[in-house]
Amino acid sequence: MKKSFRDFLADLDAAGELQHFGGEVDLRDVPGLCAQSAKASFFENLKDYPGWRLAGALITSKKRLALAMGCKENEVAWRFEEGMGRLIEPVMVERAPCQEVVRIGDEVDLAALPYPLMHLFDGGPYISATFVVSKDPEFGRNCGSYRLMYRSPDETGIDLVSPSDMRLYYQRRLDQGKPLEIAVAIGCHPYEMLAASYKAPTDLDEYWVAGGLHGQPVPLVKCKTVDLEVPADAELVLEGELLPIGWTEDEGPFGEFSQISGDVKWNPVFRVKCVTHRRDPIFYLLQMPWENDWLAAPVTEAAGLKALRNASVQPVAIRAPVGSCGYWTLIASIRKRPGEGKNALLALLSIAEVKLAIVTDDDIDIENPDDLDWAITFRVQADRDLIVVQGARGKHIDPSIKAWELGKGGLPTTAKLGIDATIPEGVPKKLYRRIKVYGADRVTPEDYR
Amino acid sequence: MTPELSPLARALRREIEARPQQFHELADAHRDAAWPDFLRAWGELRRAGILGRDEDGNYRIEVRQ
Repeated sequence: MKKSFRDFLADLDAAGELQHFGGEVDLRDVPGLCAQSAKASFFENLKDYPGWRLAGALITSKKRLALAMGCKENEVAWRFEEGMGRLIEPVMVERAPCQEVVRIGDEVDLAALPYPLMHLFDGGPYISATFVVSKDPEFGRNCGSYRLMYRSPDETGIDLVSPSDMRLYYQRRLDQGKPLEIAVAIGCHPYEMLAASYKAPTDLDEYWVAGGLHGQPVPLVKCKTVDLEVPADAELVLEGELLPIGWTEDEGPFGEFSQISGDVKWNPVFRVKCVTHRRDPIFYLLQMPWENDWLAAPVTEAAGLKALRNASVQPVAIRAPVGSCGYWTLIASIRKRPGEGKNALLALLSIAEVKLAIVTDDDIDIENPDDLDWAITFRVQADRDLIVVQGARGKHIDPSIKAWELGKGGLPTTAKLGIDATIPEGVPKKLYRRIKVYGADRVTPEDYR
Repeated sequence: MTPELSPLARALRREIEARPQQFHELADAHRDAAWPDFLRAWGELRRAGILGRDEDGNYRIEVRQ
């Protein structure tokens, strides 16, 4: 059986990475407590929410990301790539923990679910750890992650502004004046969350991706009121439809994955017809931006590995720093042959989101900022080792693009920068021989105690 | 016809009418209410269709025609 959200919590606990709050906690204090804890947080007694527990800020370090993926910290990109290379079909099951309790129609009350106001300028409380499933008769099933803002006991806002498969599905239904059925699973294993954030081709079912990452099929159960399937081991499921009203209702701001408080957006509304959950449910509060950014990093890194190999460059290590939201920057070390520093940069900059790429040789530890600074200092000449690409596709969310100057519907462009921090051709490698301390390999302080 | 608002929803309406406010300001002003009750009262304003927004994200009362 594949690992569940609860299995991941148990793994965190076993590794000493889960802080338990046993006493009664006001839900409104949960985000502040999560943000100040060095560990992932688990709340066992929530005031006004009998029967509910809450886990939050689970993946806010590379250590915990690696724990979720069952690998070393410097192996997450390879681990993601390995999973992507063995897509596994999901299996259907008849009975599921996520449907132990079923509330339909008038019994639906989203105010009874424990989600707090997460950030100071948010437009309301948000459900952030969503695994959203939808279907289109032509393109098939799609899974993604979309934030949900509380509106009323049976409605949320949903951010559907950015291009996505589900936005396409919604537009096609909207053109017919019909709603789009969706199901939202909350409390899924990080592999499901990674699959949901992976930009798969439209005809690729993300459940197969999640299965590949697990190395085992994802068990699915049919929803109670919509023609969709959800992970059977989820903690909580919301079933309903996106109303055919288009982008007409206010949603946001929300603390975005870019680490910036966003703006009010105009978006559709999700009307919830049914809520199902476990008998003893655990709500998952995904802490923005850190969890989102750590979960984005392996996806960007795996795209970088693929791009490098397609360019016949041999990668040794790759990193999408969380400071770039795991999204806009890629740093790679390569086993370089002449000219491949530039080839590697061109490959990495071809990835749609990547705005800054840095390439070094394989003697540089790219996880060590000081080592990286040293390589940039002594291996880069600005007049020959920088590549600037103008007019590439950009993202509205980047303030430096000045997207507001484009007017409504305008698509922004961005400049991209590549830095070749490999040893320049023609410079002898011996000029980079690093200092080594005399005798450090034969003596320790303990020898003289 | 607009359904009658609960006392908490009426209080929220009055406060927003007095001054456009961020959601967190309203939440802070009602720490004495249970969070689920606060959210249900907020839902009443939503269902009444009277909540608007300004460009800074403040909520304001806006009766739609």
